[in-house]
Amino acid sequence: MKSFPFLAGVGGDLPEMSFCRLGCLFTAGLLMLLRRSKLLLSPSSRAAGHLVCRYFDVIVVGGGHAGTEAAAAAARVGAETLLITQKIKTIGVLSCNPSLGGVGKGHLVREVDALDGLCGRAGDWAGIHFSILNRSKGPAVWGPRAQLDRDRYREFIQSELLSTPRLTVLEGAVEGLLVSEPNPDQPGQIKVTGVRIAGGAQPINAKSVILTTGTFLSGALFMGQTVSQGGRMGDPPSCSGLSHTLRETLGLKIGRLRTGTPPRIVKDTVQLSLTKVCPGDKQPTPFSFLNKETRCKPEEQLPCYLTHTTPGVERVVKEGLHLNAHIQQDTKGPRYCPSIESRVLRFPGREQQVWLEPEGVASDLLYPQGLSMTLPPELQLRLIREIPALKQAEIRTPGYGVQYDFVCPTQLSPSLQVKKAQGLFLAGQINGTTGYEEAAAQGLWAGVSAARAALSLPLLALSRTQSYIGVLIDDLIVQGVTEPYRMFTSRAEFRIVLRSDNADLRLSTRGFEEMGCVSMQRYKEAVRMTDGLRDAMAALESISMSCTKWMEKLGQIHLSKTKSAKLNGLELLEYKDVTFEMLASAFPGCLSAYLEFSKRLKIEGLYRPHYMMQEQEMERVRKDENLSLPQDVDYLTLPISLSMEAREVLDRAKPHTLGAATRLPGITPSAIVHLLNYVRKTDKEREQERVHI
Amino acid sequence: MFLNSIAVWRISSFIRKEFRFNLTKNLCCKGIYDADTIFALSSGHGMCGVAVVRVSGPASALVLQSMAGLSRGLPPPRTAVLRNVTDPRSQELLDRGLVLWFPGPRSFTGEDSAEFHLHGGAAVITGVLQALGSVPGVRPAEAGEFTRRAFHAGKLDLTEVEGLGDLIHAETEAQRRQALRQMEGELSRLYQGWSQRLTRSLAHMEAFIDFSEDELIEEGVLNEVDLSVLQLQREIEGHLQDGRRAERLRSGVQAVIAGATNAGKSSFLNLLCQRPAAIVSPTAGTTRDVVETSLNIGGFPVVLSDTAGLRDTGDSVEMEGVRRAKERVQLADVTLVVVDSTQLPQNYQSVQNFLTDHLRSILPNEDDLTASLQRCLLVLNKRDLLSRRTVDGLQKSISQAEGLPLASLLSCQTGDGLDDFLDVFQDRMRTLCGDPLVGSVSLTQARHRCHLQQCVRALSQYHRYRDVDLALAAEGLRLALTSVGRITGKVGAEQILDIIFRDFCIGK
Repeated sequence: MKSFPFLAGVGGDLPEMSFCRLGCLFTAGLLMLLRRSKLLLSPSSRAAGHLVCRYFDVIVVGGGHAGTEAAAAAARVGAETLLITQKIKTIGVLSCNPSLGGVGKGHLVREVDALDGLCGRAGDWAGIHFSILNRSKGPAVWGPRAQLDRDRYREFIQSELLSTPRLTVLEGAVEGLLVSEPNPDQPGQIKVTGVRIAGGAQPINAKSVILTTGTFLSGALFMGQTVSQGGRMGDPPSCSGLSHTLRETLGLKIGRLRTGTPPRIVKDTVQLSLTKVCPGDKQPTPFSFLNKETRCKPEEQLPCYLTHTTPGVERVVKEGLHLNAHIQQDTKGPRYCPSIESRVLRFPGREQQVWLEPEGVASDLLYPQGLSMTLPPELQLRLIREIPALKQAEIRTPGYGVQYDFVCPTQLSPSLQVKKAQGLFLAGQINGTTGYEEAAAQGLWAGVSAARAALSLPLLALSRTQSYIGVLIDDLIVQGVTEPYRMFTSRAEFRIVLRSDNADLRLSTRGFEEMGCVSMQRYKEAVRMTDGLRDAMAALESISMSCTKWMEKLGQIHLSKTKSAKLNGLELLEYKDVTFEMLASAFPGCLSAYLEFSKRLKIEGLYRPHYMMQEQEMERVRKDENLSLPQDVDYLTLPISLSMEAREVLDRAKPHTLGAATRLPGITPSAIVHLLNYVRKTDKEREQERVHI
Repeated sequence: MFLNSIAVWRISSFIRKEFRFNLTKNLCCKGIYDADTIFALSSGHGMCGVAVVRVSGPASALVLQSMAGLSRGLPPPRTAVLRNVTDPRSQELLDRGLVLWFPGPRSFTGEDSAEFHLHGGAAVITGVLQALGSVPGVRPAEAGEFTRRAFHAGKLDLTEVEGLGDLIHAETEAQRRQALRQMEGELSRLYQGWSQRLTRSLAHMEAFIDFSEDELIEEGVLNEVDLSVLQLQREIEGHLQDGRRAERLRSGVQAVIAGATNAGKSSFLNLLCQRPAAIVSPTAGTTRDVVETSLNIGGFPVVLSDTAGLRDTGDSVEMEGVRRAKERVQLADVTLVVVDSTQLPQNYQSVQNFLTDHLRSILPNEDDLTASLQRCLLVLNKRDLLSRRTVDGLQKSISQAEGLPLASLLSCQTGDGLDDFLDVFQDRMRTLCGDPLVGSVSLTQARHRCHLQQCVRALSQYHRYRDVDLALAAEGLRLALTSVGRITGKVGAEQILDIIFRDFCIGK
């Protein structure tokens, strides 16, 4: 093969930059005692400039939240990975809100962290305001959230990527995909073998390609009546070639969605005295299971400011409606992160909340959450000035809307691979989701899957019963999307079990043992935690006595149980005013060794009985999910007894497992049994074939 | 009125106490979630000497202990013992019958199982099924669930499973029709109303959990949910108390006579019940409403309905009759399609096409005409008006026709051919009544009752956790909705989100 001169050209200034950044971070990292596993630029990590390789295991296209997690995860699994992005300096940029986590989304961040992903640690590094949402509503629905410093977040992600072994970063625009005849042993009509780079350079080959193009796939930017091409203001539009390949060469079903971002406001021009000041938590809780504390000290946190819209805002929206091309389009936008225009039109006469969020320690801007808009700039200014605190406010950059293509995600497998195309994986907004956390979660999983495929390891699936990531992927590939998909806790049927506090127990050991994407250090920590909690719970259960005895022993608490019933220590933790510390001080001999787990034990005790109850139902779902359906089946002609309706539904969805099939609308119990029967039969036949070999 | 509300209060406090007691004993898993022990009537419905009720799942031993007076020890495995079967709550004697204990894995399903062999009367069966439904953690089986469990446990070989899908299809179909029949009218509106209120409460709860930190969702939303849940709980408890006055439900196989006007449907009804139950006249459109009569065909209970002739009409009364006729046909276990054989084409070859088209116009075919055809018998009337040669030719061509339901050529005027028809009809009855779900009102009632009891238990979980942990309180509402959903249809996450976004302005 020929060499690639452009590799050297493009990456020329890279090593210098990365060394410099890493240097500062290294010192700071040591000082802050923040655990950073791959801080040193290891000898095996390479910047593009030094590369002579032209064949990779995995190529990731795009450097946003999905792309960075995908590239890092693929490299962790052991694949030689190439990340291609339009501009290296925009890797890890927070394009929209300067925050991470929240209710439901916080669960995703912690799960990504439990699988050794980047965003949790990046959040701990860049956070400048931490809070646990839903604090009063029960630990199962707590939502860890942080305001971020945009610069710090980007720095962390970039330094992390540039120091990841087996990962190379390349600046360039992908123009199209290389395809060839499919491998006949696997399902799929075509095989993706690499990418074509714009500018006439030689193509690059790979066993797996992950597309994380975000809003750049045929992206169009809307402001007032102006429409321009692009996926983010200030960046060049991505090549139309990619969109063409997906549509024409691969024949994928493509839809269109829209989203938007608010104007950024100059902080000095805001009358903060007219707002409600909302400080962060007194004691910040880190996202990452590896971090005991955040980089930002509690007292250094910056506040958020709360204010409200006025009837004047509604008036400006209505007056400007004819100048608002984005709002007039009927492309589907989200119902839960709508522009101020659609909120006002849908619920007129209501006061809306506006959060003014800090953008960073050194930033002079505020981000007005809730004021996403696409009016012409002069009307944007008029609109925000209808809010008393923003009466003299200045806009630094106006808000705008984006419309973009997405690939209907029902065309994907549970590993996020395009069913039709061997070796092609998709993650992030290209799959119809919205949000950094949703993108990161998919990116991580696509990275793990693509690497495993490239290394000829079996592909895995994440179950709905084990993680929010599993819920997210299952919802996407089984139900599809009609509007940008966002995670809520109400989407998870096993909410009591899938909590943000126990993501490490659920995922880290599996991540090491089965998936190969978790480091030894994290694995050891997760095992220590699992064993510690198990021992502590056993110790608690071993202490059992009547309520009266407990009350004598513990003093001040009141137990409303019948006198005769005995309670053990774990059951006692279900009571609101009983803490593990209280029990440990009453029984120091057997419990004080576990004081470091006291917060987690309290939560385990609270949910323990319910956990055991949900186990059975989860087991049933898992059983169905373990029965995989072959992907090369033609349901329309399959010689089993199925109604025409069921055949059409199955043909459209091509479910991967029996569990997914049961969740399809229009599939009856009898259809399921016929499928079950068919699966068992084919499994048996395959087994016999194997025996013959 | 006053007394009534006291009674409601008593039972609700009883249920709450019981629930708390369960929790104390750390057995609450048996209270709500452990819905994994199932029961069903395994023997056929209709006239039978012995009825077999099967139970499978972890609580099977508990069932035997609490219902067959075996609290001191279970009988030896796989050995029949004669026991008094009692209601675990009231200790009322339900029947005296044989009881068997099959500890897993050596049972049909591979799980712990039990069987009750009871006297086959409707009252006994109803009593036992309802009593079973009241045992914590025990619920009626879904269609085919026993077989499916056996399959999962590797207890069935592949040849045995071949027919399973069809069996479950038939069960599901029968259950659906049965449920539809019972869901007509007041009861249906009641259950649907509960389901809707519960869905809304859950949606508001979920909105509060997922969005209240960022949005203007006031704590007041939860107070409304509290009130609504309390009200709902009282109503359902009241309804369960009131169970004995439940709507009298029609029992038996539902057979419906349908066809074009003047085909002789009413004459056919009169012939079958041997009395002039319906008015017969040569004028087309004489029968306008549904005429219903109960019959006993070969020992099987049948509810036979005569319906208005199907034709396009401008008469508003007749139009309503046609609408009712169509509705009946949709809910029927068997449709007897009466055809005037003098209207058949002379050419025997085209008889099949003619009949297929005719059936297509009468039978419901939205989902599956084949399924409707399987539930149908053809009655070719007015045989007396045909020549001998035509009768022979016709008989030959319909016996050779494929894809047509069984057909009988008869005359309502002379009674010729009636015996042949009755043979066919009885045969069909036997098949249908071998299916325990057809016409089994008691099973459906037991099912509803059980789900409503689960719902009430789950609602008390809501109150128990309301001030402790909202996630657990919401879990109670989710469980309650799942229980009611088993009667009225499943409510998915998307529907909950739809309500959230309709009722609240979510912006962040």
